[in-house]
Amino acid sequence: MENKLEEIKKQTVDAVRSAKTADELEDLRVRVLGRKGSLTIILRSLGDLPPETRGTIGKKSNEIKKIIEETLESRLNELNETSLDGLVTSEWIDVTLSSPGATGTAKTGRLHPISQIQYEIEDIFTSMGFEILDGPEAETEYYNFEALNIPKHHPARDMQDTFWTEDGNLLRTHTSPIQVRGMEKMKPPLRIVGPGRVFRYESTDASHENTFYQVEGMMIDRDISVSHLIYVMKELLRRIFKRDVKIRLRPGYFPFVEPGFELDMNCLICGGTGCSVCKQSGWVEVLPCGLVHPAVLRYGNIDPSQWSGFAFGLGLNRLIMMKYGINDIRHFLSGDERFLVQF
Amino acid sequence: MWISLNIISKMVSLDGISPEDIAQRLTMSSAEIECLEYANRHFTTIITAKILDVKPHPNADKLTLVDLSTGSENHRVVCGAPNHKKGDIVPLAMPGTEFSKDFIIKKSKIRGEESSGMLCSEKELGLSDDHSGILIFPEGTPAGKSLAEIFPDSVDVRLEIDNKSITHRPDLWSHMGFAREIAALYGRPFTDVIDRSLESGFKNAESLKVEIMNPEAAPRYSGLVVKNIKIGDSPDWLKAAVTSIGMRPINNIVDITNYVMAEVGEPMHAFDRKKLTGDRIIVRLARQGEPIMTLDGQTFTLTSEDIVIADNDKPIALAGVMGGGNSEIDDSTTEIVLEAATFNPVNIRKTAQRFNQRTEAAMRFEKSLSPELTAAALIRCYDLIKKCIPGAVAVSKILDAYPVKQKTVKIKTDTEFIKKRIGQKISDERITGILKALDFRIEIKGTDLELEVPHYRATKDISIPEDIVEEVGRIYGFDNIAESAPMVPCTPPRRNEFRLFERKVKGILSMHFNMIETSGYSFVGEDFLNRLGINEDRELRLANPLSMEQDRLRRSLVPNAVKSIMVNMRNSDYFKTYEMGRIYIKDDRKSKELTGENTRVCGLVYSRQPDAPLFYEAKEIVCGLIEMISMDDIVMVPESKELPPYAHPGRSMLIKTGGKDAGIISEFHPKTLKSFDIQGRSAFFDIDLNMLFDAEKTDKKFCELQKYPDVPFELSILADRYVHTADIISHVIKTSPEYIKSAEVISIYEGAQIPEGKKSVSIKTVYRASDRTLSPEEIAGLQKKLIESMNRKGFTLR
Repeated sequence: MENKLEEIKKQTVDAVRSAKTADELEDLRVRVLGRKGSLTIILRSLGDLPPETRGTIGKKSNEIKKIIEETLESRLNELNETSLDGLVTSEWIDVTLSSPGATGTAKTGRLHPISQIQYEIEDIFTSMGFEILDGPEAETEYYNFEALNIPKHHPARDMQDTFWTEDGNLLRTHTSPIQVRGMEKMKPPLRIVGPGRVFRYESTDASHENTFYQVEGMMIDRDISVSHLIYVMKELLRRIFKRDVKIRLRPGYFPFVEPGFELDMNCLICGGTGCSVCKQSGWVEVLPCGLVHPAVLRYGNIDPSQWSGFAFGLGLNRLIMMKYGINDIRHFLSGDERFLVQF
Repeated sequence: MWISLNIISKMVSLDGISPEDIAQRLTMSSAEIECLEYANRHFTTIITAKILDVKPHPNADKLTLVDLSTGSENHRVVCGAPNHKKGDIVPLAMPGTEFSKDFIIKKSKIRGEESSGMLCSEKELGLSDDHSGILIFPEGTPAGKSLAEIFPDSVDVRLEIDNKSITHRPDLWSHMGFAREIAALYGRPFTDVIDRSLESGFKNAESLKVEIMNPEAAPRYSGLVVKNIKIGDSPDWLKAAVTSIGMRPINNIVDITNYVMAEVGEPMHAFDRKKLTGDRIIVRLARQGEPIMTLDGQTFTLTSEDIVIADNDKPIALAGVMGGGNSEIDDSTTEIVLEAATFNPVNIRKTAQRFNQRTEAAMRFEKSLSPELTAAALIRCYDLIKKCIPGAVAVSKILDAYPVKQKTVKIKTDTEFIKKRIGQKISDERITGILKALDFRIEIKGTDLELEVPHYRATKDISIPEDIVEEVGRIYGFDNIAESAPMVPCTPPRRNEFRLFERKVKGILSMHFNMIETSGYSFVGEDFLNRLGINEDRELRLANPLSMEQDRLRRSLVPNAVKSIMVNMRNSDYFKTYEMGRIYIKDDRKSKELTGENTRVCGLVYSRQPDAPLFYEAKEIVCGLIEMISMDDIVMVPESKELPPYAHPGRSMLIKTGGKDAGIISEFHPKTLKSFDIQGRSAFFDIDLNMLFDAEKTDKKFCELQKYPDVPFELSILADRYVHTADIISHVIKTSPEYIKSAEVISIYEGAQIPEGKKSVSIKTVYRASDRTLSPEEIAGLQKKLIESMNRKGFTLR
């Protein structure tokens, strides 16, 4: 019996050591340690043995069982490790492909660059407590001009060539009508921005479009000053360009503000040394702005002796062109995917 | 508009200031300087030289070797001109002289001979068109002088002003205005060029009278009669000055009137006195239909809004715009009437626009000129005429019709207000100093200021305290103002829910469904509408379209979607784009004056060779969108009849909410693709975003996770080919709605073993109960119920 046990031990251990797969090991385990396994049978039949040998054989059988179990386990561990190593070849795929058999990647979606900058600006202003307003694109002459202190036959109308509609209205030439509508709707103090599409009666070329985007802004409170305006404008540009930008403020004439300014930004294309984008001046006009003209406040039913404010209009196309070095404004409305996927 | 620093320097000293600095200061405080140009800067290195000797060139027949002396140095140049000889004084351009960026004189060898400079012709110097030979100076001209010394008026620096930036400043349409600005900016005295003492010498020997019939159309009309005129060329200084400010020299009188307009800012005109009938000049509104021929030979038919200058029987000038052809001065003119007037800016602007005559005069009049300028301009004109034609004599006093005097504008403000608006502490002395430098008369009482606005800025430009804030701010330098954050309550802003909704939808389409957002024009044209089959002439039209392709406002985003396909199919075999934007519906007015505007979103999927109908891709996007915005009240129904003509009748669904059409999912009709020459196929959706926004949204609510097991059951049935599977599914669910968790079509098969006109549909139904495990008996019962019900509906089991 002892020999038989030794033989089982030897054979099993050898077989385990030479086993190549986990399945083989499982087979061996079943054959030896399974319900009808050779060692199990011996262990079950211990009761039939004479009492003098029963003790030694029993002890021996349990020792062998333990050895076999340990060998099985260690071999299984070995096998697992080698087969993981083997994955390098057995389950290798070309990870530089994008899908089985192809390198082409699925296109990812995009927001239009105007939407991207518009949302960025909306968020900057929302964080400073500005409410976002809308207004109609086909506007009345009243909101686009008269209520902004630009009466009929005022020479300032030349600054904004206008598309007129058959019903005597017009396509808004700036987002400024949103100011007036905002003042009518809300009571001061107020902080508003109005992004949107605007139109100019103008033939298109690389730097002119008949359709483009602006963001209008207005803040009305007690004693708003030029100094406040400068702060908000600088803060806006700092956040958009993610660095401190150099600006300059010079007089600019817009009938709806007094005083009125042109805010120039140091040209980011050349860094201020002069290039074709900034017409060699080193500066780019980005923001007409100013303190709201008292007549405009009155049009908005706000008492200019109690309240003052600033207003500005930011051209989004120009800003994006500046940010990315785009040389042709017509790309924005071209619908060309090759342009749109770049941002 | 061009400003000459030579002219400016007659009114304010520019000593020690660089033109660049002037341009910079003006840009920062007064008006935008678009460019700065040096006129004849190279004249400083072109020197008069005496020819010592002329020798033939050893290697070229037509060239000569010329030895010259500038007095201090000798030079040898190779010259090709035929006219010079020993002893002549000629202009020698020294090495380094820059005629233009590409033409700089250098020492060089010409056919083997050294040449250190160039002798110049009049044409090369820009003095005339004469290129027949070298300019030879009159005898006695000293050698060693620069051309800048010989022709001092030709050397100038000119600044181009952005006209838009002086729209509100009638005074800046003149050199006088800019000279005043420079004087204020640099703290230098301003010298008036008007010599008012001349007026006392005007004789009163003329019977001419001037009369204004409509004072609201012409506040002031002034004239001066001058005799002994000899029309001729202007002197060189005047020619140079007129050229420098961008005008062409014509003759002495025209040049003088142009010069005075540029200098003083008052447009001037000269009539030939002998061409006027009678002794009256009348300013009146034109008669409707009255014709006038202007001095450029054009004839205009006037309206009763135009203003004319007339003599006893005819209009002699279109007021504020241009003189008349019938009273024009010519070479034989000996007696003139000089005119300086002020007209109603609105009338002038309308007239100039109506006849498309935006002359230099009209541009100035429409800015509201001060009537106080007229007499000064006449005196100045006379002064210059005397300089050019010494025998000329003023035979009238200033003939003046000035029915309504210009009002003095007084403004009360205080320094505290100015400081508060600027937001910076500026001393009261600085504030009053700036205002004094700008010619304001000031009365100071503590911090209160009572200001009298100078007449030339009192027409419209300055009238309220805010205008004073600007004056102080711009001279102080807006750039010198420090930024400060406004101190206001930190109330959060109200949310613009519709904007946020737009943004959410765009986010879903772009980020979840990988679509590319495009943006297209708001315009559309007839051709496009015709090709789409939707030309019903219902669009709001533009009164002044730029082109036929863009002559009306879009009622639909679909034309832009088609454009997007046409643009992108050239470069791409597969793409998904969308546009969100407004459409304009003239027959749906939200208020009485405004056209209705609606926001829509229109997306498309294009494939050159689709593997499966693209409709399903478009539908997947719409369904995903609806799910993500948690829309409740929405149904999608197949439709084959009530469709736009560009929609495919076999592949369309309408989207409805609240029982109304909110949009469509479809493929483009093959005939539409053909009419736009589109290869491949494309599916689209076009949805009213306002309706989606207004529709009921589901409130999200937690649902207990299922505890009891699913019991799946699959069956295949035969159905008529054109039956919608959605109907089959809803029928399945109806059999035991409380136990059916889901019912889905998992495959559809047509072909072998399936009868013609039929399809085999395999449906997987999953049963479960929320409170127990379904027993085998219950399951069998449910399945039996389903099978029987299908059979009753005519769907036979396979």
